[in-house]
Amino acid sequence: MKNKRTVKVSKIKDGYSVNFNAMASPCEVLIQTQDKRVAERVAHCVSAEVWRIEDKYSRYDSLSLCSEINNSDGKKVDIDEETYLLLNFAEQCYQLSDGLFDITSGVLRQVWSFDSVSGECQHFPQVSEVNKRLCLVDWNRVLYDLHSITLPKNMELDFGGIGKEYAVDRCILLVKELTDKPTLVNLGGDLAVTAPRDNNHSWHVAIEHPDCDAFGQRQDMIVALKHGALATSGDARRFLIKEGIRYGHVLNAKTGWPIIHAPRSITTVAPQCIQAGILATLALLQGKQAEQFLTEQEITFWARR
Amino acid sequence: MNNLNKKVKDTITKPHKKISLKASLSLAASALLGTSAVTAPVSHAKPADEWQFDSAFLVYSEVDRVSATEAIIAGTKTFANDEVLNLKLTVDVLTGASANGAIAQPMAQTFTRPSGNGQYVTPAGETPLDDTFKDTRVQVNGQWAQPLSDNLTGSVGGHLSKEYDYLSLGANGNLAYDFNRNNSTISMGLSYFQDTFTPEGGIPKPLSSMLIGDSSSPDWDTEFAKTRIGDSDDKSTADILVGFTQVINRRMITAFNYSYSMVDGYLTDPFKVISVLNFDGIAQDHIYENRPDSRVKQSTFMQTKYHFDESLLNSVADVSYRYMWDDWGITSHTIDTRFTLPVGAASYIEPHIRYYQQSAADFFQPYVIGEQAKTAFVSADYRIGEMTAVTVGAKYGVVLNGGNELSFRIEYYRQMPTDAGFVDPNGLNGLDIYPVVEAVIAQVSYSF
Repeated sequence: MKNKRTVKVSKIKDGYSVNFNAMASPCEVLIQTQDKRVAERVAHCVSAEVWRIEDKYSRYDSLSLCSEINNSDGKKVDIDEETYLLLNFAEQCYQLSDGLFDITSGVLRQVWSFDSVSGECQHFPQVSEVNKRLCLVDWNRVLYDLHSITLPKNMELDFGGIGKEYAVDRCILLVKELTDKPTLVNLGGDLAVTAPRDNNHSWHVAIEHPDCDAFGQRQDMIVALKHGALATSGDARRFLIKEGIRYGHVLNAKTGWPIIHAPRSITTVAPQCIQAGILATLALLQGKQAEQFLTEQEITFWARR
Repeated sequence: MNNLNKKVKDTITKPHKKISLKASLSLAASALLGTSAVTAPVSHAKPADEWQFDSAFLVYSEVDRVSATEAIIAGTKTFANDEVLNLKLTVDVLTGASANGAIAQPMAQTFTRPSGNGQYVTPAGETPLDDTFKDTRVQVNGQWAQPLSDNLTGSVGGHLSKEYDYLSLGANGNLAYDFNRNNSTISMGLSYFQDTFTPEGGIPKPLSSMLIGDSSSPDWDTEFAKTRIGDSDDKSTADILVGFTQVINRRMITAFNYSYSMVDGYLTDPFKVISVLNFDGIAQDHIYENRPDSRVKQSTFMQTKYHFDESLLNSVADVSYRYMWDDWGITSHTIDTRFTLPVGAASYIEPHIRYYQQSAADFFQPYVIGEQAKTAFVSADYRIGEMTAVTVGAKYGVVLNGGNELSFRIEYYRQMPTDAGFVDPNGLNGLDIYPVVEAVIAQVSYSF
């Protein structure tokens, strides 16, 4: 599972670029400094922090705390404060989304295989299969406090919807302690900056168009960012098509079915990456009304359908 | 009344809901990250809409001849939906002397200025230069590009260039189609220019003799007017360009272009004459040159850029070759190579070598003898004669703190005309009929 963990620090036009892989994504840190030692210190701390979070909350890693909870067979598992805070955050998102966002919805992925490259329907689940899993989705049945969590048997937690964004925000806090040089942390497209670039210039961020078909790809959109964070939800490569309806990768935790008529991707901005990520996901969960939802909330966003 | 009520209700309830989701999320995030809550509903990002500027100051100076000073400022702005606006203003000032086309003679020669007002004398053995060359040119270019669909980008542009005696207006349109995962691009462009030339002193009558004598005599103006055929003339240029760009891999990109250009109208240089010699090689007369009123040019161009890895210091090689041919009998080859070498953390040095070789137009002649060819096309303009030219130079660029780039360029240009192979009359012995032109180009650029 774990690839070779290496960090590459390279000189770029006006600073240093740090590259490594984590959370199944390419990760990049840009630091606007001419001081290589600063760049190397940032590289070390950021990569270590991202890998730490990955090791702790990845549901694919059998040694992670997440796996320990998922395999606990309904027994109580000890947790630390960080995990408690993450669970609290998940609870708030559950409340704010009226149950649409639920970190126990991971079990639904057992019946929805979204990794189809062609988008053709290779395995479209039966209603009964979905319903069988749906009884295992219910955040309200998860009991937790400051020191422990009890997850009912066969249920699963999935920090996938918040883990990467949380890691971005954690890294930004760490970098701010290390240096006041302008820095951008980008974990597979979810990113945040510590400050504007020198002379109050913006960071220019390209947002990849989700459509990566063999026949060309729209030019990436460029967004200028001076403060805060940006996160994208949605991915055109993960969808199913049945009877002309395109099922996106975001699942409705209440029905167990993918959201239909949702944009293919939504990018939003917020002071912190975890907020941007949740806003984008909550918007996708609105389906056809995604854009309207964000417009009403006066949130800056870019949607691609 | 109902509508009004609804409106009031909306304004009361909607902002409340807005703030509650954002504020709640903000509070939740702060609790998670242990930071102070940022409750203000701020959005910090916007589409990239800052102007990006490039400026340059250039000096081109030919030894003993023309020098040009040029200032350029260009601004580029990218809008929310990937539209790009580019505006460019160029101002250049030309001063100095320019070859009038006549050849050196063993004695001093007198020429009339193109305006007809006054004369100048070229000493024995020197190439005749008209030293009244002075002009200021203002050029404005605008280009608008935008995606038309997923793979199609369109752009349109306009051009205006104004000199004291010259006006050029142009428009262009281009389409670019990306395919093969954006690794290939086919483009097609059309452009059209309309130029009007209003030289001081008017348009000379082709092949008529330059009037030389006492310009203050009462019948000078009448006589001078006889060598003129009008105040102004114009030409039009239509170009078609087809291009193909291919990304070979992450280190290499290639481009191929073909262009077809049709120029119609007044293509003669009103300031150029040609010496008419007797059989001893002594100038008897200077006649105004005469060129065809149409020209069809075609050219092919290929370019490759290669980005080397660390073993070659991450340098970039850029090599291009152009082959041009036209229906005047001119063919030319241009090889242009640049090699960008990073130096230290934030600077680079870029050596540049350009080699140019051109054959002469069918009607090029350094001079005419006797009554030969007085009715045909003829020009002694060294720029359409056979020649080889070399440019050697280097650029040094440095990225300043803040990401702005400052660069300096210095180049040496040497143009070497080839002997056209005429058996020169004895009187021309020891005279330089094919003078070399040398120039120095210096440029400072700043991008911010």
